[in-house]
Amino acid sequence: MSDGNRLGRRALTAGLVALAAAPCDAWAFGEAGAFRARLLAAGKSRTDEARAGATSRWASELVRRTSAPGREEREVVSLDRPALFREPFAVWSGAEDVGALSMSEVSGLERFLRLGGTLVVDDAEPESGAFGRSARREILRALPEAPPVRLEASHVIFKTFYLLDRPVGRVLGPTHIDAVVRGRNAVVLFLAHDLLGALARRGDGWAFAVEPGGAEQREHAIRFAVNIAMYVLCSDYKDDVVHAPFLLQRRGRAR
Amino acid sequence: MGNLGLAEGLTPLAAASVALVLCVWLGFVFVEVRRSERAGATVLASALFAALCVAGALLRPTRVEKRGARLGPRVAVLVDQARRLRLPAEHGDRRSVALDAAGALLRRWTAAEVDVFGFAEGKLVPLSLDKESTLGQLGEESDLTGALSELAGEPGERFRSIVVVSDGRLARPTEHLDDVALSAALGSPGVPVHTVRVAEQAPADASVREVSTVGAAVAHQPLVLHVTVGCAGGLRCDEVPVVVRELRQASDAAELARGVAHPGAGEATIDLEVTIERAGQRVIEVAIDAPPGDRVPENDHRLLTLDVRRERVRLLHVAGRPTYDVRQLRLWLKGNESIDLVAFFILRTNADQPNVVDDTTELSLIPFPVDALFTQHLPTFDAVMLQDIDANEYKLEPYLPALEAYVRSGGGLIMVGGPSAFSGGGYAGSPLERVLPVELPRTGEPYDLRTFVPAYTAAGRVAPVLGGVRQLLGEELPAMEGSNSLGKARPGSIVLWEHPDRRVGDSPMPVLALGEMGDGRSIALGVDGTHELAFSELAERTSGRAYGALWDGLLGWLMRDPRYEAGRVSLERPCIAGEPTAFELVPPPGATGEVSLTIERLGLPVETALTRTLAQTGPSLHVDAGRLRAGGYSARMRVGAAPPTRLDFACEDGGRAYADSRPDPGRLERIARATGGKSVRPVDVGDLPLPDPTEIMVERRASALVPPWIWSLGAALALGAHWLLRRRAGLA
Repeated sequence: MSDGNRLGRRALTAGLVALAAAPCDAWAFGEAGAFRARLLAAGKSRTDEARAGATSRWASELVRRTSAPGREEREVVSLDRPALFREPFAVWSGAEDVGALSMSEVSGLERFLRLGGTLVVDDAEPESGAFGRSARREILRALPEAPPVRLEASHVIFKTFYLLDRPVGRVLGPTHIDAVVRGRNAVVLFLAHDLLGALARRGDGWAFAVEPGGAEQREHAIRFAVNIAMYVLCSDYKDDVVHAPFLLQRRGRAR
Repeated sequence: MGNLGLAEGLTPLAAASVALVLCVWLGFVFVEVRRSERAGATVLASALFAALCVAGALLRPTRVEKRGARLGPRVAVLVDQARRLRLPAEHGDRRSVALDAAGALLRRWTAAEVDVFGFAEGKLVPLSLDKESTLGQLGEESDLTGALSELAGEPGERFRSIVVVSDGRLARPTEHLDDVALSAALGSPGVPVHTVRVAEQAPADASVREVSTVGAAVAHQPLVLHVTVGCAGGLRCDEVPVVVRELRQASDAAELARGVAHPGAGEATIDLEVTIERAGQRVIEVAIDAPPGDRVPENDHRLLTLDVRRERVRLLHVAGRPTYDVRQLRLWLKGNESIDLVAFFILRTNADQPNVVDDTTELSLIPFPVDALFTQHLPTFDAVMLQDIDANEYKLEPYLPALEAYVRSGGGLIMVGGPSAFSGGGYAGSPLERVLPVELPRTGEPYDLRTFVPAYTAAGRVAPVLGGVRQLLGEELPAMEGSNSLGKARPGSIVLWEHPDRRVGDSPMPVLALGEMGDGRSIALGVDGTHELAFSELAERTSGRAYGALWDGLLGWLMRDPRYEAGRVSLERPCIAGEPTAFELVPPPGATGEVSLTIERLGLPVETALTRTLAQTGPSLHVDAGRLRAGGYSARMRVGAAPPTRLDFACEDGGRAYADSRPDPGRLERIARATGGKSVRPVDVGDLPLPDPTEIMVERRASALVPPWIWSLGAALALGAHWLLRRRAGLA
């Protein structure tokens, strides 16, 4: 078999960017399992255009930096539509209170999470926290038995690809993240850092300034996004015993 | 022949009572005569005569005439039928000596009624002294206690004596019993038990007398084998090398342990630690290097079929890149408590740009330990899952021969599809391709981008491996986004899913196929979308359970879980070289089609011992496989197009019966002594005493000496005369 016969990962990604504008129900071989950050539309939440475009950036950064395949075409999914179940990952971003989800939305959210889906709740205005609080409230309606818990700094999400100390986004935000954990997996991640805001592009530049750390903070935010994607794709792979001695050594060296 | 008797129906008690009354009366008469001056001998004589006449009238004596015959005594001859009797005696083999001795007894004791039985560990069997006709009745060990007990319950005339023909190495009564315990163990037969000692001297022989284990055999865990080596018959065994090997399908035996025993002229036990990496039935050979002069080479090795359990399935999961398919498989594997998972995913390639200054402090990545995984650690895994990983890019090529050998020696392999799997990953034409259940195309596109829904084949519809998925989804399967290009299935492999449009030659292209390669099994899954069974609109209907059902079946079949085997094949009795071997085949319920059984010898060269095809006639089938040579074998049953079911088994040369070749003439002598019998060598069977014959009465005729009315008349006249004489003598 020659290389010319193979459809490379980057070629696939580029091709998909070109196809993004066209309706596309079928993917190429190997693409069905590729990471994609789908936007969740639920309740009264609205995502601005820049942040909606950040989902593509998320996939492209993943593809550029890691071996994982990603798909950059945008998709918005609703909680009460069957399309929700096509892929196991979605991002719910917003700036205001989402209001009360309809019963069909709560049901859809519950089934998505119980089936094994992963949801990132990204507060675009963590300064007010209205979106984050309302999203927690509504998710608790879907999974009343699993209130959010704090993920320790030792959680695998901080080492799935990059070795990170804390979560960051457009804002520095809290040093921890909360999550809904089912079994051994975090199925909902609550971010109070506006991660999509740090990834969002407008024209040739970044859509939002990152404060207070500037470019370095943005790089860390991108790394955190990559780690989240790797967590979605590999779950707790980096917690496996075979990695422990290496990672302990590297953490020690980094300090 | 004539004798006197009393009247028919008269009991001895009645006769005695009559005699007593008459004697008392005569006593009175005697006393009266003595006291009287006038009464004399005449009165006394008349009284005596009257008493005799009364006795005659009451007892009515008869003449009895009898005719009879003398029958020879009933004697039982018990000939030891344990397989051990095929070992050498001083002259010829013990079995020939035993049968000759029994024959000599029959010829000598023509006047006796002799019943010849064979005894071993089961019921007594009437024995023909034809050597060939009794070969199929040989047993594992000799239970004389059970044989005597059964003999005591035999109907008909009681045996007057019992003759045991054996070498004395009996399972019961056991070796170290004192005389009292020995008598108790024999069950007090009540007749003499004579013994014929068919062998006195042990042959020059070094043997593996016993192999035992401490606890159960568990895959990947050390197991201690206690190996007892014995030397007898004057053979000196100062140093006897012992080796333990595992016999494998289509490959050379793998040495597991080696040691040296020092039995001298007796016995020695050594402990050898072995680690068996594969679960299931494994054939283990324990062999010694016997010193020169060994007369019984058959017992220089033992073959054991160990049922190796698996506490947890140790699995290596290697993925070329993280995808949702990888994620779902990992989640399932990690959620399964019975799986010990070692995973390596390629997270970064050389072309990736992680934007770091220092890899070691900013990235959590570790080097892919390809060398360690595929050399030293490979045998420790029960199965290897290669998921969408490029053999060229990740330098797997040098290790593919080892992976092929790993599968052939019993390992499991699953190759899961993706752009970098199968031909797309450089596996076409590689050693690994040879152990995949499908051929791989070397030209053309390595994969196809068209979306399709896999179709069940006829085999897929009946295979237990997919039973769980079909139970949940019926014929329905999710759409797959493309497929790997797979070639035709290898001979003996089974295709469960096929492509509805793509073809290989005249047949639909396989999508999911299973195969047996040597001792191992392999699975080819030419799609990367089975995660759709866990998370998709279709999966949502079944709460994603079809994914677990699919992988439970695939991994279960790979690990020979009986739940996913198509039927059951078992030996009807332990296989012994040179003796008839039979199998019971149980096809799975509802399976249709012909049943085929193939038996191959383990090891190299590959040798087919039997191939047979039968029509299903009931819930189970009986198959005579004839007489096999000593060695390890693998029996495969296939029902219709379903995947085969396999049974590995050992066929020993004599087995446990040959392990200790020493006769035990002393025990036979003690048995004879404890029962009042005699113990002799075969040449002296003429010295055994024949019990006295039994007399049998054929006819008896009784006739009265004097007609009863004469006795009565005589008694009346005699009593009257006595009365007159008493009156004359002045007696009352």
